[in-house]
Amino acid sequence: MVAEEGRKLYLKIDATDRMKQLMTEYYIDAKGAEGTDRPICWITSGGPVEFLIAMDVIPIYPENHGAMCGASKMGVQLAEVAEGLGFSGDLCSYARLDIGSAITHGGPIGGLPRPDFLLCCNNICGTVQKWYEELARYFEVPMFLMDTPFIHKTTYEHATEYVRKQCLELVAFLEEQTGREFSLERFAEVAMLSVEGIELWKEVLKTAEHRPSPLTCFDAFIHMALIVTLRGTPEVVEYYRLLKGEMEKRIENGISAVPEEKHRLIWDNIPIWFEMRNLGQLFARNNTCLVADTYTTAWAIDIKIDDPLTSMADAYTGIYLNISIDLMFEKLLALIERFSADGVVMHSNRSCKPYSLGQYDLARMVTERTGKPVLMIEADMTDSRAYSEAQVRDRVEAFIESFP
Amino acid sequence: MSVDVLSRLQDLTGDPYSYARAWKGRTGGKVMGFYCHYAPEEIIHAAGALPVRITGENRVISDSGAHLQSYCCSLARTGLDMALGGDLDVLDGTVFVHTCDTMQRLSDIWRLDAGFDAHFDVVLPGRMEGDSSREYLYQELGSFRDRTGEYLGPVDDEALKRSIGIHNRNRVLLEEMYRLRRQDPGVLPSDEVLMVVAASAIMDKEEHNALLEELLGTLETRLSGGGPPPQSSLCKGEEKEEKIRLFGIGSVMDQWEFLRMVEDAGGTIVDDDFCTGHRCAGAVAPEGPDPIESITARIWDGALCPCKHAMSRDRAGYLLERITGSGAKGVLFFQFKFCEPHAFDYPHVKKALDEHGIPSLHLEIEQGSVSIPRLRTRVEALLETMRGA
Ligand code: SF4
Ligand code: SF4
Repeated sequence: MVAEEGRKLYLKIDATDRMKQLMTEYYIDAKGAEGTDRPICWITSGGPVEFLIAMDVIPIYPENHGAMCGASKMGVQLAEVAEGLGFSGDLCSYARLDIGSAITHGGPIGGLPRPDFLLCCNNICGTVQKWYEELARYFEVPMFLMDTPFIHKTTYEHATEYVRKQCLELVAFLEEQTGREFSLERFAEVAMLSVEGIELWKEVLKTAEHRPSPLTCFDAFIHMALIVTLRGTPEVVEYYRLLKGEMEKRIENGISAVPEEKHRLIWDNIPIWFEMRNLGQLFARNNTCLVADTYTTAWAIDIKIDDPLTSMADAYTGIYLNISIDLMFEKLLALIERFSADGVVMHSNRSCKPYSLGQYDLARMVTERTGKPVLMIEADMTDSRAYSEAQVRDRVEAFIESFP
Repeated sequence: MSVDVLSRLQDLTGDPYSYARAWKGRTGGKVMGFYCHYAPEEIIHAAGALPVRITGENRVISDSGAHLQSYCCSLARTGLDMALGGDLDVLDGTVFVHTCDTMQRLSDIWRLDAGFDAHFDVVLPGRMEGDSSREYLYQELGSFRDRTGEYLGPVDDEALKRSIGIHNRNRVLLEEMYRLRRQDPGVLPSDEVLMVVAASAIMDKEEHNALLEELLGTLETRLSGGGPPPQSSLCKGEEKEEKIRLFGIGSVMDQWEFLRMVEDAGGTIVDDDFCTGHRCAGAVAPEGPDPIESITARIWDGALCPCKHAMSRDRAGYLLERITGSGAKGVLFFQFKFCEPHAFDYPHVKKALDEHGIPSLHLEIEQGSVSIPRLRTRVEALLETMRGA
């Protein structure tokens, strides 16, 4: 069953170098801006970054940085700094390590540049609301909370109106913070680039519908960095065009991400950053490709050019983590069908309650409706202290073995 | 006289849903459960239903383990377990209010699995400052009134105003109880204070108002030196030694045995910010022509839960003021394990306390595995240092 090491288990994507270059430039530029008159704003991953780009504000994503710290296995040491200050070890590990890094300037890039202000959107969780409050106190900078009412069954007109109004408040906030004037034309331009980037990102992910798939979700986890951090810029558009081209070429040449793809699975939840490489190889060795995930698709939002404000309000309110379990199920079901998956792997992530609570129900719903099995892995996205590699390996192998 | 009131309340909190069952049998009305003190009880009441609070309980989890991971707070886990196990059968439906990530997901799971007739979500704003948030809150309450109306029957303005009056009265009376206690904590031990508040969330408010009035009368007589000393079964001992005044911070406080232990060890929680405590008292809904506006104002101006965001209302500053005002000399953090909103605020509040030389103790508990002897050692240590100081 286990693939011979005839071909390398992991096939490098050539575009990766370009992405690394763009991300390095981005961080160097951002760090260089610290202390100059170029404003820096820390923003949550689900936040409406288009407003910042349109105002020439440098966006910084502590969550992206958290993922980097996790992948470089520095998450625990930074989290422990925050725990030493009284932050519970049960809090979201992104928040813990970010607070630790803010204080010590620790992490793979020596910490993030100091923010001039903060933009927090609670469409991903209530955690960020509390985390950013702490950042606002620590850095003594203003914070704007974009409050996106959770969708249990339907969206109500008054909720959309509320978020739309907040978009205008955000504009006023940014004008005040930067002393610059907001330009609707510039914003429309950015929104257009954002849409273009998002469309290309969707197309990149879509190439995995092909059997065998040219990419795995582990690739997507790495290559999503730009759509999260810099959407709305021309570089992102250019980059995803490159990546898409490479994936299409792979399909043409019959090259698959996993040497011998026999089984196709969907991943649910944030990656286990410190274990990505091992997990990727584990699945590949067992001829299994994780063809799609619920995480990277979360950035595939819909913005309409004709009314960017209203459609942005709807798009940011309707993202995956801001909808009920039954609505999530519909999306998960669509992924399973679209990518012809044989089952689902769920990362029960003790850091992330909005993502993880409800997974047991989701798993049951998947199996009831499709007959397909679900594997539950208990872990944390960056805190490796409670992780058991051997146990996960055994469970993954047993799970894959159960496929015909 | 008050002995009767107190033993009555004690029975109630010991078996919280028997009251609802009897009420239902008597009136034929509907019973609606809710978790959070932000729930607009007035609207439920005005529709002729009985709002009954769910706060989990000390129990070993069985059924809810298949729905909620172990890293979820016990409030959600034990509450769901009660629902799945049939202990909440008296409920016709449940109202969930948007607070934290856990409650948000619990609402989904509850709606999908618990099998009650009706389910409502009141998606309160996360931000509690700024005109647009207030306007949204108003709209959402109005929407809730319409949506519940379809199930419970329409709620007209007059009925709602009447309910607001009854609920305001309840808050004023509870506030008065807290005031008397601050004057002399010996007048009623903290476990009984919190039981009185807990009872108000599970019984008909008018009936509770009557009990409260009776209780307050007795407390006042005691304070003015008349009448016998407190004699409830729980308030044992007539020793006159002054208890050390503490302030309690946390969400749900339903650990009566713990509170008795604190009293027994020589401390008393003279005031608190529990959402099953002082947060249920005080802020009344200003009565006016538009009842939804009245409720909006009450929620907007009332005590702020750590789940809500308002940079203009610093929590540490607010708590410091409350602590000083209560005469408390120390603080007990009594928090649920895995509760993010409270855990995030803790270092900030703790730092402010340290800066003001206010000693504190941080306790993290899970319903169902509260070890009184272990907690006692820690509480005694705190009281010991306070006595030394
Ligand atoms: S991991 Fe989850 S809890 Fe943490 S910031 Fe992200 S969405 Fe929020
Ligand atoms: S606020 Fe805390 S205790 Fe209350 S439900 Fe949420 S996590 Fe649990």
